Amino acid sequence: MVKVYRPSNLKEALEIISSEKCTLFAGGTDLMVKGKSWSGLEPSFDRPVVFISDLDELRKIKINEFFLTIGGACTFTRIIDNSQIPDFIKEAFIMIASPGIRNMATIGGNICNSSPAGDCLPLLYAMDASVVLESIYGRREVNIEDFILGPGKNVIGWNEILTEVRIPTKNFKIRAYRKVGTRKSTALSKVSFAGLAEIEGEELKDIRFAFGAVGPTVVRSRRIEKKIVEMVSEKKLEVGEIKKMYGSIIKPIDDQRSTANYRREVCLRFVENFLMSCKWR
Amino acid sequence: MEFNISQSVRREDVPDKIAGIAKYIGDYKFKDMLYARTLRSTEARAIIKNIVFPKLPDGYCIVDKGDVPGRNRVKIIDYDMPFFADGVVNYIGEPIALVVGKDKRVIESILSQIRVEYQRIEPILSVEDGLNAEKPIFGDNNCFSDYTISKGDMVSAKRRAKFVYEGEYETGYQEQFYLEPQGMIGVYEEGKVSIYGSIQCPYYVKNAVEECLGFEPYRVRIVQTTTGGGFGGKEDYPSLIGGQVACAALKTKKPVCLIFERNEDIEVTTKRHPSKIRLKSYIDENYRVLGMEGDIVLDAGAYSGLSSVVLQRAMFASAGVYNIENLVVRGRAVATNKVVSGAFRGFGAPQAFFAIEMHMEHIARELGIDPFEFKLSNILRQGDRSTTGGLYRDRILLPEMVNRVIKMSSLEEKKKAFKEKRKIGKLNGIGLSMFFHGGGFTGSGERDHIKGRVRLVKDDKGYVEILVSNVEMGQGAGTTLRKIAAKTLEVPLSKIIFNNPDTDRVPDSGPTVASRTTVIVGKLVQEASEKLKERWSEDRVEVEVQYKYPEGFYWDNDRFEGDAYTSYSWGVNAVEVEVDPTTCEVKINGVWAVFDIGSAIDERIVKGQIDGGIVQGLGYASIEVMEDRSGKIMQRKSTDYTIPTSMDVPEIKSELMCEPYGGGPFGAKALGELTLVGAAPAYALAIEDALGVKINKIPVRPEHLMEVVQNGK
Ligand SMILES: Cc1cc2nc3c(=O)[nH]c(=O)nc-3n(C[C@H](O)[C@H](O)[C@H](O)COP(=O)(O)OP(=O)(O)OC[C@H]3O[C@@H](n4cnc5c(N)ncnc54)[C@H](O)[C@@H]3O)c2cc1C
Repeated sequence: MVKVYRPSNLKEALEIISSEKCTLFAGGTDLMVKGKSWSGLEPSFDRPVVFISDLDELRKIKINEFFLTIGGACTFTRIIDNSQIPDFIKEAFIMIASPGIRNMATIGGNICNSSPAGDCLPLLYAMDASVVLESIYGRREVNIEDFILGPGKNVIGWNEILTEVRIPTKNFKIRAYRKVGTRKSTALSKVSFAGLAEIEGEELKDIRFAFGAVGPTVVRSRRIEKKIVEMVSEKKLEVGEIKKMYGSIIKPIDDQRSTANYRREVCLRFVENFLMSCKWR
Repeated sequence: MEFNISQSVRREDVPDKIAGIAKYIGDYKFKDMLYARTLRSTEARAIIKNIVFPKLPDGYCIVDKGDVPGRNRVKIIDYDMPFFADGVVNYIGEPIALVVGKDKRVIESILSQIRVEYQRIEPILSVEDGLNAEKPIFGDNNCFSDYTISKGDMVSAKRRAKFVYEGEYETGYQEQFYLEPQGMIGVYEEGKVSIYGSIQCPYYVKNAVEECLGFEPYRVRIVQTTTGGGFGGKEDYPSLIGGQVACAALKTKKPVCLIFERNEDIEVTTKRHPSKIRLKSYIDENYRVLGMEGDIVLDAGAYSGLSSVVLQRAMFASAGVYNIENLVVRGRAVATNKVVSGAFRGFGAPQAFFAIEMHMEHIARELGIDPFEFKLSNILRQGDRSTTGGLYRDRILLPEMVNRVIKMSSLEEKKKAFKEKRKIGKLNGIGLSMFFHGGGFTGSGERDHIKGRVRLVKDDKGYVEILVSNVEMGQGAGTTLRKIAAKTLEVPLSKIIFNNPDTDRVPDSGPTVASRTTVIVGKLVQEASEKLKERWSEDRVEVEVQYKYPEGFYWDNDRFEGDAYTSYSWGVNAVEVEVDPTTCEVKINGVWAVFDIGSAIDERIVKGQIDGGIVQGLGYASIEVMEDRSGKIMQRKSTDYTIPTSMDVPEIKSELMCEPYGGGPFGAKALGELTLVGAAPAYALAIEDALGVKINKIPVRPEHLMEVVQNGK
């Protein structure tokens, strides 16, 4: 039998996990798949389980002029239904799984699962999001890029809970999100892409691209983004060159869902389409 | 009771299924029941040198080849597949033994401690290697079957031809993906073995188990439990696991339950045969196809299974719906060290129709003529002869059906509009396919092998029970057969009883396969009902009828000559797609279909088969990718082997046209398989239309389209 805890508030949860190594269980949509066993048997959990999906502290959504803050245990449905969250952010969540899964699956779970195919990650990378990790000793904030180390690997301590995702509410006039899956619903990504650009008049202020499912972690390059801004300001944008630069850092693999060639080519086409759609040209 | 036979009625099986009350095999809990899990080969081809088992706790045992009291070979058509590996293994996932006991955790622990020592043999992993095998898996030439059919005079056709066109077409695996995985429970009581399970063919399992145990027929009983889909996947495979649980029950003297997990089921059970089909056509100056040479190669996997008949069906369909008078077609089912290919809705026809439909379109394009005109000018008509020289006796409504589909789909207007759209980078396309399916077993199978028998029993209260070995597996067979009986007897439907078959109670009316249940068995139900009607006044009546081969038909099974089928159903499909110019993802924007299935016994059930079959065919054509690497299937989980969801397919617009078959009940013809057959070519042709590329292979993956586009058409 698995030992389970159902803490009634965040403090209690943090106390439990500080005294004993546990598995945090939010929506369970990744954990139940991982722990799947022969039907009729309990799913396999090697540590006590702490249910955190009901903790009020983790279910809040706040927005002010600087940050959109989403509680770690907010489900995708909760995010999609929230009237304050801009549509282009919701788009990434609407494309995930199916209604039933979206009712259970949480943003914290998606981030902490740290899968290369995690669908909310490219957008969070592109938006310079950070995550707040809390333990009984206090809280720390880590950039999403520094949080995820590799497939299934991140920097969270066993006594910490991801309590919030903080997304700077910067405005981007041009935005694109694309998910390419094997089918229209309940499909893991072959490729996912987030593109953002801020333009004032003729001037490109900021541009960001992030690519999911094409490497061990989401791919984003500030170096190339800077280069694009420079090129545009000098009115010398070479789309081919930008594609070449991305081509050299996007190194996907062949697997059971797609091919390396396809994944890279689609990414580069997304970049090209995005750049061609920008008005500065 | 006066009712129109086609008018839909409420299905009796559905309320319990929706309410979750229906008992599937996983819901059965026998007293003292044990569980079994399978030890499987991890090698594609090897000699088993030794197996080291851990010390087994009390109450746990291993069941393997040493526990098969009869013949350790599964009776399917031939006897090459063992119930438990017999010194060698021939594919990854081949069963070696069962670990049996009470606690699933303990079973898993035992399983994880078993060490199998293999001596590897170089495996045969492709049909090309299989055709040039140094160490064949089967026979001398490594082919389970190698047939040729021919008719007419090929030499003269070649001489008269003005154009020659040759193409090669390839199709992949398809997994049946029934919602309920394979499962069986074996029970041993007082010298008799009973097998409960999710199956399509109770008597196939019975025959296989009898030989496995060396038991007389009366000592083996098969009971079908509510079955959550089959699609052919529960035609052949249950004979294997039926024998396994029978041996386990006999050894332990306790009920033994073997139910597959989803991923296990995807990986190790039978699938549709991958195919490579080469067609070479000889065409005259009036664009008549004078002759065709065909070469069909099926990847049969490690054991013969049903491959010989799947191959025959593919060969018989090789000329599609076209009247090609001179023909030579060779077919081979090649042994490879991969999972066994088996029965799947369509049974060889989807492969053949994909090839011929693409081929005809490519010929037209090559010759610069209109594909519809070309196809229609070569189309089969009443009085023409089939690939095996059989006579098409009934009217063939294809021209009307094609016109109707063109109208329903606004095909011509769309073709024009899409041409314009392509100029602005919008990639829409529409494709149309024509096809048939033969009802019932091929050739004289119904007469020589099945000899189906149907019994009706009327009790003193006027209730009539239909006793047949055919199963309701979601397709509506129970309702269809009940309606046939009620209509013929002129009694209310509520008076007709259909229960899941139990071989202790029902005669052998044959398997639930080959689109035969309504046409063949339904006809027998009708005949039995007529007989019963004459004796209606008696208190308790039992009547039995047996299949009679219809007069005037003829089949020579050694030479594959004559009437391969006694009835044909026809279909025309149109599919409209939109290809994303950036990602090459394909969206289906419309599906239209017209079928001639004779008269529909229940329109809603028919519509269910149409929608389901087309969606399954579209999955086959598009997203159902299954490949192996070194003999190991890569898409082993439902995450990776994806079938279409309702989000992937638009509403399917379908209509029926009717040329009744005199030998079918109320003029009904085959339906179940037909609906899957035409979707793939229509889909592939739509993509060709959208992109202006040539497609010779399904599934059509965006990955492939991307390469084609990258390499510039
Ligand atoms: C059918 C199906 C379809 C799916 N489709 C998609 C898809 O399209 N795209 C996609 O990206 N994903 C998909 N997933 C995966 C999954 O739904 C998501 O990754 C989801 O966001 C996980 O959230 P959860 O709350 O269920 O996580 P859980 O399973 O509860 O947890 C996942 C991991 O995160 C840890 N964790 C969870 N919350 C916290 C927290 N607040 N603090 C610290 N650690 C935490 C857990 O300990 C665990 O290690 C799918 C899953 C299924 C079953």
